[in-house]
Amino acid sequence: MNGMMLVARREIGTQIRTRAFKIGLLITAVLVGALAFAPKLLDRPDTYTVGTVNSQQLPLAQAAPDAKFEWRSFPDEAKAKEAVLAGDVDAVLVDGVKVITDGEIESELGVLMQSTNREVKLGAAGVSIPPLQMESVGADTRYEAARTGIAVVLVLVLFMLIIGQTMMVAMGVVEEKGSRIVEILLSSIRPWQLLGGKIIGLGVLGLINLGTILVVGLGASMASGFAAEFPPGMAGIVAGVLIWFMLGYAFFATLAAALASLVSRQEEVGNVMSPLTMLIMAAYFVAFYATSDPTGTVATIVSFVPPFSSMVMPVRMAATEVPLWEVAASGALMILAVLATLSFGAKVYERAVLRTGARVKLGEVLRAK
Amino acid sequence: MLEISELRKRFAAAPGSPEGKLALDGIGFAVRPGEMFGFVGANGAGKTTTMRIVMGVLKADAGSVNWQGKPLGYAERQRFGYMPEERGLYQKMRAGEQIEYFGQLHGLSAAAAKKATDELLERLGLTERRNDSVESLSLGNQQRVQLAVALVHEPEVLILDEPFSGLDPIAVEALATALQERCRGGVPVIFSSHQLELVERLCDSVGIVSAGRMVASGTVGDLRAAEGRTLRVVVRGATPGWADGLPGELSLAGDRQVLLVTGGDDQEILRRAIKAGHVEHFGVEQPSLTEIFKEAVA
Ligand SMILES: Nc1ncnc2c1ncn2[C@@H]1O[C@H](COP(=O)(O)OP(=O)(O)OP(=O)(O)O)[C@@H](O)[C@H]1O
Ligand SMILES: [Mg+2]
Repeated sequence: MNGMMLVARREIGTQIRTRAFKIGLLITAVLVGALAFAPKLLDRPDTYTVGTVNSQQLPLAQAAPDAKFEWRSFPDEAKAKEAVLAGDVDAVLVDGVKVITDGEIESELGVLMQSTNREVKLGAAGVSIPPLQMESVGADTRYEAARTGIAVVLVLVLFMLIIGQTMMVAMGVVEEKGSRIVEILLSSIRPWQLLGGKIIGLGVLGLINLGTILVVGLGASMASGFAAEFPPGMAGIVAGVLIWFMLGYAFFATLAAALASLVSRQEEVGNVMSPLTMLIMAAYFVAFYATSDPTGTVATIVSFVPPFSSMVMPVRMAATEVPLWEVAASGALMILAVLATLSFGAKVYERAVLRTGARVKLGEVLRAK
Repeated sequence: MLEISELRKRFAAAPGSPEGKLALDGIGFAVRPGEMFGFVGANGAGKTTTMRIVMGVLKADAGSVNWQGKPLGYAERQRFGYMPEERGLYQKMRAGEQIEYFGQLHGLSAAAAKKATDELLERLGLTERRNDSVESLSLGNQQRVQLAVALVHEPEVLILDEPFSGLDPIAVEALATALQERCRGGVPVIFSSHQLELVERLCDSVGIVSAGRMVASGTVGDLRAAEGRTLRVVVRGATPGWADGLPGELSLAGDRQVLLVTGGDDQEILRRAIKAGHVEHFGVEQPSLTEIFKEAVA
């Protein structure tokens, strides 16, 4: 145990000091922060400038509380036309009967002006119409946009972190095997301690990354006001992301270490890892697809299948409400898969890591007694 | 005592050589506490393979390795110090941290590892390089760091595969002194080397391995005795034919006659030499380890 922790500590200590790690962390923090401000910048409330010539202002603001209206009054129609053509105003109400615009009018503003006008005239004639009552009987879709946004960002973050850390594990294994450091290491610690320590160490670094992303993301969202649109149960989503990351990482990193232990040179890493990289990519695509259709059959089924569940389930959890039993069942399956991978990976690693030279065949390793 | 007996190892057949390669063919020897054992043999003789088996890096097909009378296991190996033939260090890690790290892996506390590292760096002349990354060190200095890694945890046994290769004469002396000190403290030291003069000078006993078998072993004195004594006699102005009938070779160097003779009655030879002329030299020739080695592996 002690040996494993020493190995993990070395991994963390050496990686954290590298410039690549610091810069990477900084860039993700900046990106995530920017992302949290993006909705506010893109989704600005509609603002209209409306002019009047010899007319009463219409009670537009009352009819559309989300939009902003600016009023300007013009002495005559000619001045108003000038302003319209210069783009200073969107529309001008002339004598309470006519609207002049620059060729086109935004449909929302047009509808708004028509209906408000009708209401004002009818009101003046003593007719009052009670407004329609709105009532939703379906799912609460208020947070849908925010949920989808969070899920899309999440898929990307999980994918980048898992593939990044998994690659680090593979390269670390080959570094030790290729340079024969394993010969000394394994005369003082057990293979599983070395393997476990490396996976834990690089996993902690992944968590530091993920934690930074979450903290910066949440903090920036609060600052930008985007947090107001967060769905309820955000804490659960965050906790879920952390746990699913750990499970997915444990699965893929163990396989990466096993595969990497078959080769002795860094140049061979990409090649030997390609089946695993493809698996991670596949998980990424399914998870990405799930962001657009989180309640569909494909997303639902795949969110139970390890290792895809490690990326699809957190996405579903963010994108929609997932019953707790589904999360628990999928989690249990994933834990089983991780345990199976650990026992398989440790065996391959132990048998292959001291056999330097030409690439070791997986079948040969498994057949050896 | 470290006893290695009857080790056999055949490497799996590479494509093209159907029967594989027999690397060890029943090699065996023993090293006592406080003994410095020099392991010599031609390239490919099986030295590295033997050391890897002792360190558990390779598994033998047959044979055993015992330490203090019991089969050597993982727990005991933790207290061994090992320097592999293919040097392995983390290139990006600082020299000092690396030595400390391996010390801790071998069970030292953080403080003890730091203290031992400081001492070793001082001793190996690397104190100023403590915070340099290994990749920025010269090959010989990397080698010193590698040695420090093998020594940092005060090992009970030292297994060093060609520890002297690549070192400058000063470093060779520093390492030799360090090893002798450990030896005096009761640690058995096994090292392989192709520098036979060094082996001859440092080692209490020597094992000569050839084609996976131990062809000669013992103290350098024993090996010499087994070679047979050669007498060297130099006589000036000797009457020709004085050495007729002696089992040796006579050669001429100016007005000196040089006789190299193996066996025969040395007293009788001396009497004849004195009678023949002026005896300038009369003594037993010490064959060097190199000569013994050549003889043994021939
Ligand atoms: N991994 C391996 N696969 C196949 N053959 C091997 C392997 N390792 C060593 N051998 C063979 O075993 C024999 C003994 O090699 P070993 O490395 O033990 O020699 P050595 O005495 O250390 O030589 P050197 O003085 O060159 O270091 C050699 O013929 C070598 O080719
Ligand atoms: Mg060798």
